[in-house]
Parts: sequence; C-alpha cells; structure tokens
Amino acid sequence: MNNKEIKFSDEFLNAFVDNQIAAEEKSSAYSEISQDESLNRQVCELRKLHDLVQLAYRDPPAPPARAGASLNSHQARLRFGVAASVLLTLGIVLGSQIRMPSTSPSATAAPDTAAQHVAKNISLIKPFQAKAAAPADGKVRVASLQSMAVIPATEAPEPVPEPAIVQNEVPHNATTKVLVHLARDDADQLSQALDDIEGLLKHYSKARQSARVEVVVNGKGLELVRTDTSLFAARIQRLQREYDNLTFAACQNTIDRLAREQGIVVRLLPGVITIDSGMAEIMRRQNQGWAYLQV
Amino acid sequence: MRKLLTLTILAVLTVLGSGCASMMGQDKQKVVYHINYNDEKQLSSALGNVKNHISAIGQDKIDVKVVMHGNGVDLLKIANTDLNMQQKVIGLKKDGVAFQVCNNTLVNKKIDYKNDLFDVSKTDIVPSGVAEVANLQQKGYVYIKP
Repeated sequence: MNNKEIKFSDEFLNAFVDNQIAAEEKSSAYSEISQDESLNRQVCELRKLHDLVQLAYRDPPAPPARAGASLNSHQARLRFGVAASVLLTLGIVLGSQIRMPSTSPSATAAPDTAAQHVAKNISLIKPFQAKAAAPADGKVRVASLQSMAVIPATEAPEPVPEPAIVQNEVPHNATTKVLVHLARDDADQLSQALDDIEGLLKHYSKARQSARVEVVVNGKGLELVRTDTSLFAARIQRLQREYDNLTFAACQNTIDRLAREQGIVVRLLPGVITIDSGMAEIMRRQNQGWAYLQV
Repeated sequence: MRKLLTLTILAVLTVLGSGCASMMGQDKQKVVYHINYNDEKQLSSALGNVKNHISAIGQDKIDVKVVMHGNGVDLLKIANTDLNMQQKVIGLKKDGVAFQVCNNTLVNKKIDYKNDLFDVSKTDIVPSGVAEVANLQQKGYVYIKP
C-alpha cells in the first residue's frame, strides 16, 4: 500500500505520461493503473494536458546560435557572442523604429499565430472543462493550465511572436474548414444548433464553396448522437446523406466516462465517428487552420 | 573563410532581430464576437464585454464585429424598444463596432429588418451568420463567445 503510494506519486505519473521511465517499470505501472479507477483518470487528465501543451506550443524555434558551431576556440566564440547580441539588439531597435510610424492598419495585418489563437479560445472552453468530473488533483492542474493560457488571452495587445507555426495565409478558393462545437443539451437549443449547421452547409453549397464541417459533441451534447437518446436521429441521418462534407464526431472520453460511472454502453448513430477527446480535437483543428464556433 | 561565415551569420541575425521586433509591433486587433442567444441579461453583459475590450485596447487599435444569428438577432429587436440596450448599441457603433445580422435567420423567423430591428441597413446583413463567423476567423479575426 505504502509502496504503491510512493510509486504513483505525482512525479512518477508525470514521468509516466512524458515517457521518461524504464520499459519494465512502465509495463507494471500500466497494469496497476488500468485496475485503479482514480489513477486511470488521473493519468488520462495528465495525458490530455500533455497533448494540449504540445499542441499549443509545437516546434519551438531552434536557437540561432547553433549556426556558429563551427567556431571552436573559446575566444572566438565569446567575441562572436558579444557581437551577435549587440547586432541583435540593434536589429530589434531598428525593427521597432521602422514599425512605429505605421499606425495605419495595413492590409497585411500581422497574422495571428496558432498558439495565440488557441490560447484565446481556451478561455471559452473553461466552463465546460470545469463541469467535467475529475479528481481533485487533476482539476488543480487543469485550472493552472487555463490560467496560464488565459493571461495572454484577456487583454494582451501584442501577438506572441512564434514564427514556427504561423499558418493564417488561406489561399484563395481553398476549402473552408469549420469545427462546430455543440455544447448545448436541451431539445430546443439542439434543434436550433442543427438549423445553424444546416444553414451553414446550404450556404456553402449555394456559394459553390468547397467546405468541410465537423460537428464535435461531448459531455451532455453526446445525447444527440446516441441511438437511445437522440431526439433528432432522422434529421442527422438526412443531413449526413445530403452533405458528404459533414462529419459528426463523438468524444471517446465522454463515452468511456458514461460506461464507468453509469454503466451505459453507448451506441452511436450510423456514420458518427469517435475521436479521442473533444477538447483535444478542438485544439488540433484550430492548429490546422480550422475556424471554431460554439453553437 | 571563417570570417566570411561569421559575418554572414551576424548579418542574418541582424535581419532576424529586426524582423522579430516588427512582428511585435501591433496592427489593429481584429475580433469577432459571436451572439446566438437572447437572454437579456446575457446580451447586456456581452455588450459590456465589447465595450470594456475596446476601452482596454483603444478605439483606434481594434476592429470589432458582432455577428448575430438565430436567437441572437433578438438583440436588435430588444434595442428597438428598450432604450438602455439601444444606448449601448449606439455607443458601440460610435466606437466603430459593426453589427452583422444573419439573413437566414431573417428569412426563417420572418423578421422585417427595417421595422423589427434597430438601425439595420442592407450592408449590415450577411447571407449566413455562422459562415460569416468562420470567414472572419480565416481573415485573422479572433473568435470570442461572450
């Protein structure tokens, strides 16, 4: 018992999620974790966090100093370093000077980086995540990620420079991709949400605009695509038949949770796919340049 | 040879530095507020959010569009009779906020924008509110659902 507690300390779990422990230890940990409900959930939360952080801050720019690796004498390196920092500072000063006078909005506005975009929208997801049942420990961690992400989101006037993942140039006539997050649960609102989705699809087909629409359902929203609870099964199937660019994607985390907590074996309407996590999907799609909408 | 290499690297660094600095300078912040509900309290606080957002950034440094569809169009219906809401809309319009109304909703709910809604002209109407929200995001607008 005691041994178990030590073994599954926070540090251990973090290392486990980050893939930093030995293979045999890992396999024994796997079997123990799969038997323990709360541990399992804790690992799941950590993993989700791990994924989110990786998604938001992918591909850190390589340190530019690497380029000078061929210089080998100590002194040369030192001199190079000093010169580099002086020039870099000079460059920054020059750059900001050049920029200052142009207060008028230019047509080529500084593109929003994906990381910033994600950070902004994380705040929108907050109420949902707070609702999701999680052990006290996991919850604290999720909350701290959110507050981290929310700080730049609230009023940051300056974009975070992250040139590695700038991806906002949308070529003309490219396929428009929209992720619609269904976060509602009562029939009236769901019906309106389906109206919105249908209106969107109609609009693109009328405008002959190539488009993909993915509807992500999780939490309470899952009821919409369950065979035993959906009030709109026929409508959903009609929409799927009429629009082959429409996908309904159900959150596997929610499905697993229903099985664990209420013993419900979820059966989805035909054609509804599953994704590992609704939240992760929202982040992933935005990083891939999809527009995001909550209806 | 080595000197040449060093010089080249230093030159590249200078350019990089100035590039970074100019990336940090701001153009207008572009934001789309998405409204599809008609709870009066929620609407009122949403407009309060927009107002605060503009005051925080500065009117000349921000480009805000409020896109309404579905029940959200009721915002301008309410503003037609409720002076408090009307004042808020007028104030935001003065700050340069564009209020955009979904045509699908006008058709589905049989709303006559000239009589039923407050201060809407033809140019304020977009074919599909949802598509407009997606479209604006592709143009670099940040999405906020208050």
